[in-house]
Amino acid sequence: MDEAVRLQQEDFSQDEEIRALRAVSRRIGGIATFLGCARDFSEDREVSAIGFDAHHAMALAELRKLRGEAIEGFGLIDARIVHRIGSVQAGDNIVFIAAAAEHRAPALEACRWLIDELKERVPIWKKEITPSGESWVTPRP
Amino acid sequence: MAAGKNGMIRVLFFGPVAERVGARQIDVPWRAGLRWQDVRDELRARYPEAFAYVSIVAVDGERVGDEAEAPLAKDSEIVFMSPFSGG
Repeated sequence: MDEAVRLQQEDFSQDEEIRALRAVSRRIGGIATFLGCARDFSEDREVSAIGFDAHHAMALAELRKLRGEAIEGFGLIDARIVHRIGSVQAGDNIVFIAAAAEHRAPALEACRWLIDELKERVPIWKKEITPSGESWVTPRP
Repeated sequence: MAAGKNGMIRVLFFGPVAERVGARQIDVPWRAGLRWQDVRDELRARYPEAFAYVSIVAVDGERVGDEAEAPLAKDSEIVFMSPFSGG
């Protein structure tokens, strides 16, 4: 199976990621997931695609660090993070996070923490491609 | 982390900063005592529009702040970045 933390151009399979997570341990009692998708509408305009740029080495290192911190801090059994880079069409998958724990609370809390931290700490930049042009996205809370 | 060659500082740009610089990489000659702030000041003067977006800096893969006064090693890599927007 692929690495637990990845940056990739191609789409991913949620089922395969969860299958890989479940194969880690039969002590898992709950898996919380977050799936980020490309919207076709933003800031009052249509969006046809999103382009992602990244400092690949730094982004991968930070994602691995995040996974380690989540496992340690929330007592997870395991976690997986996959983020796409390059061009993503409206409606397609962008990012997938899965956190596995013995019980639901740490899994849910870790999943929320992971996506929030990813947005703050991982050097990835998003550009919206619209019929009237392209523009980089300014982060918001 | 890969770095510059032959005593050059490799400066990398991504996303909106790269678009405004018009390049993803610029090599700057290393000199004794050179700090990342010196490189920023030199490049900011050349690319003021791009550097208006810069709020995050990393040297050799580690984020640094203004308090980091240590001189750059030969072949260092600096990245001048705008706020992230992944996810």
